[in-house]
This record gives sequence, structure tokens and C-alpha cells, in this order.
Amino acid sequence: MTVEQDIEALDQFPVGMRVLAVDDDQTCLRILQTLLHRCQYHVTTTNQAQTALELLRENKNRFDLVISDVDMPDMDGFKLLELVGLEMDLPVIMLSAHSDPKYVMKGVKHGACDYLLKPVRIEELKNIWQHVVRKGKLKKKTSSVSNGGEYGGDSDHNGVRANRKRKDQFEEEAEEEERGNENDDPTAPKKPRVVWTRELHNKFLVAVDHLGVKEAVPKKILDMMNVDKLTRENVASHLQKFRVALKKITDEANQQANMAAIDSHFMQMSSLKGFGSFHHNHHHHHRQIGSGQYHNGATAMRHYPSNMTLGRLDSLAGRFPNVSSSLPRNHNDGGYILQGLPMASPSLTSQQSSLMASPSNLLLLNGQPQTSPPSLNPGFSPRFDINKRLDQWSNAALSTNIPQSDVHSKPDALEWNLLNSNLDTNPTTFCTNTDFGSSNAAQANCFEIQRREHGIEEGLCMGQQKQQSGFMASDAGSLNDIVNSIMTKEESQAEFSEGDLGFGWFSPLRTCI
Amino acid sequence: MQRQVALVKQSLFDQGYLDEQFMELEDLQDDANPNFVEEVATLYFKDSARLINNIDQALERGSFDFNRLDSYMHQFKGSSTSIGASKVKTECTMFREYCRAGNAEGCLRTFQQLKKEHATLRKKLEHYFQMARQAGPKETARRPK
Repeated sequence: MTVEQDIEALDQFPVGMRVLAVDDDQTCLRILQTLLHRCQYHVTTTNQAQTALELLRENKNRFDLVISDVDMPDMDGFKLLELVGLEMDLPVIMLSAHSDPKYVMKGVKHGACDYLLKPVRIEELKNIWQHVVRKGKLKKKTSSVSNGGEYGGDSDHNGVRANRKRKDQFEEEAEEEERGNENDDPTAPKKPRVVWTRELHNKFLVAVDHLGVKEAVPKKILDMMNVDKLTRENVASHLQKFRVALKKITDEANQQANMAAIDSHFMQMSSLKGFGSFHHNHHHHHRQIGSGQYHNGATAMRHYPSNMTLGRLDSLAGRFPNVSSSLPRNHNDGGYILQGLPMASPSLTSQQSSLMASPSNLLLLNGQPQTSPPSLNPGFSPRFDINKRLDQWSNAALSTNIPQSDVHSKPDALEWNLLNSNLDTNPTTFCTNTDFGSSNAAQANCFEIQRREHGIEEGLCMGQQKQQSGFMASDAGSLNDIVNSIMTKEESQAEFSEGDLGFGWFSPLRTCI
Repeated sequence: MQRQVALVKQSLFDQGYLDEQFMELEDLQDDANPNFVEEVATLYFKDSARLINNIDQALERGSFDFNRLDSYMHQFKGSSTSIGASKVKTECTMFREYCRAGNAEGCLRTFQQLKKEHATLRKKLEHYFQMARQAGPKETARRPK
């Protein structure tokens, strides 16, 4: 749909809501189709779950809602439900002639927004649009969005707004529940919360990393993690958030246009104090802070805005010499800092890289060009922050994410805020962790990781500018994860207490806020 | 003619061949979907004929894979419910009970009954639709809203 069409559709919502109906029974499908038409939805039908998946994968934004039968010959309806939830994060309603509570429970656990019994009545279908709103999938291109409604997964623009909203919400509320996009299906029974501690999360990351993004399905992840009392559903919802965060990062990365000289600047400065300065208004999108060089390096960095510090360090390394350019005060995202670094000195050798590594770490942390550009506050301990953030994100995620249908934004926002606050308040902590002497090695690792991750970073680039704190948080979280996994691989984590350098790099994310 | 059509339909309901759900379907019929009910019924009979065949074969094999039979029947029941085929639905339920109890003989018996009901309904509906078509589209009685 074009933007105009989208807007129109939104204005008339729920009229025109795009539903994908899946049922192997032709009779039921036909009836369902007509019922949905009666409700004035736009209906696409298929009697094969596989086809449905293909349709969805082809264009995630083509549908607002999926209704699927449970018993289907080519694929279990629950499996489809899970996949849709994970990959596309669309609300899914289950349909079945089974009224057995066990099935209903299973549906809910697999993330169904609702479970309807056949024969479906039109009255029930008339209200299903609520699930789209709940999931915050209501894509609005305008800024006047209902509370929590603008998830806008399909465009960074929306994402930014969503982030902003989340961030605002977060700032208002305690770090506990995120209410904005909270998708709390009232019918979903409360499950005991699993706290995704750092350790747990690390395991998760290791598993995901090991399996590869494509193969990382909850069951396998669960098996690899080998944690007692952890259920597949826990993993599934966690993975869901992770993927969403990943996606955001990817989207954001593509937005990065701003390589800040600040980054390089920061690199030189090992003082993290600069961090504060970077805390520039984040609303600006990519500011070209540095020279055009930034551009190239920046891309890499950008991709990382906060999470993928790895990549940034990489580019940073190359940029080091030019770091001296004035810190781009207006650099919005912490990530830029790093990004700028690489730009600055393309000629940096690996040695420089390592050198840069340190400062870059700091830079990342700082990401705040504004205050005192040249001074990176070594005391900054992004790492700690990140770790904290991660935990908090985990907690937040967990606390808010009982039903699978939770929206991911919350944990992210939480994380972000936490990170921000952390960064702001503990500028010196970082130093302890990243003393260059010891951290060099780690950093070298980091660099490697970065390099390796560079590719990932690209994809994960977060549009710092665009992102609101909430968004950043999510990125940070996910990046943390990514970094974590990377770090794990590189065994660099051994060198760090908790906050791998990678984490430290998250701090720049914060600046984006 | 119109009255006849209405009467025929009414008798179907009275005799329990059809239930509320059929009326729901009729509600969905409108100018955009003038033959909706008949279309759905046609789909149903096509589908169910296939299912009946499958079940027949499964039963003839004599292996009595109750799980598989139950699964077939679940499907059958689903679509029967959707069009409001009341008696057929009842037989489905009974069949599944026998399946769960592992009662092969009960399954066989019920299945025969089911086929009978199914065939009867089919005939009656075909007759009804034919009359309705003859009487003209407006003749399809609608439930007062």
C-alpha cells in the first residue's frame, strides 16, 4: 500500500484491516471469508499454512492480523502461530472446533492473541481488530497516534515515533511495567515470570549465535541453553523481542547518515566525560559531523549505533588520527561517536585500532558529543551500564512479557532509560573496566569481534538519530545481546567482569536518546 | 412458490437437520453474495464426501487407527458445524466418543448412521436450493433482524 493508502486505511480502521485467513477446510474458510468481509475487513485466504507463511514472509506489512485454524494437515496451527509471532510479530487468532481448555491454553502459550471456537460468529469477528491495536501494530504515518498505537514496524519513521513514545512512557513510569505498547491479553493467564539475567541472556545469545539467526527456534535454543525451569515459551517470547530489537537495529542502521567527528574525537579522549556532551538532542537525524570520511566509516559505525560497538570500534580504529576534529557536539547519537572515529583516520593501522579501541569504547559510551567533546570520560563505564541495562531489559522484558504477544518496545525503552541514567551518573565507572592496559587485549578482541560483526552491524545499524531513547534501549539491548554473543565467542568476555567492552559501546546508544 | 420454499426450509429446521448456524449463513447472503449459502453447501458436500471416503477406507482396512479416525471426524464435525448440519454433527460427536473409547463396532455403526444422515441432508438441501432458485432470489426468507 502506498503511504496515502495506508493513511486512509488507518483513518478508517478497523475498516479495511487486512486479514490473512488460514484454514484447510474449504467450507469453513469460505464462511470465514464472508464473515470477515461482512466486518469490512480486507481478506486474503489460503488453505495451506505453508502458503500463508510465504505470503507473510514476502511482505510482512501486507497484513495486520492472521486468523488460523489449529488442525491443518501441512502444518500444526500452533507452529504457524509461533512462527508468525516470531518472524512477523503479527497478532494471530486461533480458530478451532476444539473447545478443550488444553488447546486454548496451548494457543495462548504459543502466543495467540485470541482463541475462537468454531463455528465462528460474526459478533466475535467484529472485535478482532482490537488485537491489532493492542499489539501496537496500528501503523500511523502521522504523529497523532493513539497511545501505544504506533508501532510502525515497517518504517523507521514510525519506529522513531514509537520509540519516542516508549521513551516518554518510560520516563514517566518506573522501570517496571511498560504500558505503552504493552500487549496484555486479558485472557492470557499469568505465567510465572522468568528473569532473564545476564547469565541467562548470555546463554540465550550463545545459543542463538550458535544456531544462526535462521535456525534459532525456541526449541533448539531451549535445548542448547539447558536451563532448568525455562520453558520453550519463555525462550520464544524472549526471542521474539530479540528479533524485534534486531530488526529495529537493522532499520536504524540504514538510517545512519551521521558520522560524527565526535566519535573520532572521543576516541582520542579517553575521558568519558565527553559523554555528557554527546547527549545532544537526538532528534536530529544524522548530522554530518565529520568529514565525508565519516560517511564510510560511519556507515559501519552507524550500523551500530549503540549496540554494535564492535563494528564501530572497527571503523573507529581506522579513524583514529582524525579524531581530533572537533567533536560534533551536535552529534546526536552516541553511536556516532564511534562512527566518526573510523572516518577520521582511514589510515589507522591495526595498532591504532587497538588504540582506538580503548577510546572508542569510551566513545561509545559517551556518545555525547555535546559537553566536552574531546574529553571522553574514562570513568564512564558503559559496560556496567550495559550490563545493568541488559539485566534491566531482561527484567523489564520478563516482567512485561508474560504473554507472548507482548510488544517488545517496553523492555527496550526500559533499557534505554536505564542506560541513559547509568551513563549520566557514572561516568567514571567505565574507566575501571576499561583501563587501557588490560582492555587493550579485550579491545583487540572487541575489534575482532567488531570486524566480524561488522557485517552484522551493518544490518543492525540503528538510526540513532531517529531513535528515541526507548528505541535505543531496545537496540542497546539487542546489541548487547549481539555483542554478548560475539564476545562470548571471542572469549573476550573472560576479560570483562560483566560489561564486555561491547557493552560499553552500548552507551553511545544512549546518547541517541 | 415462495411459501413452499419457506415451508421446506422450516421443516428442515424443525426436523433438526439444520440449526441456527444455517441461519447465520443465510444472513451473510446478500447482493454481493447472492448464492452464498448454496456455494457453501456445495463446498461442504464436496469436502465431506472426500472425508467420508477417507474414513470408509480407513474402516475397511480394519486397522482402526482411532487417532486417525478421530482426526478425520474432528474435521468433519468442524465443517458440519459450520454449515449447521445438526444431525450430521451429532453423529460425528458420537463417532468420536466411540473412537476415544476404542470401540470399533460402535464406530462402524455410528459411521453408517452418519453416512445416512449426510446423504439425507444432501438430498434435502439440494431440493431446497432448487426450489429457492426457481422461486427467485428474493424468496429466500431472512430472519428478521
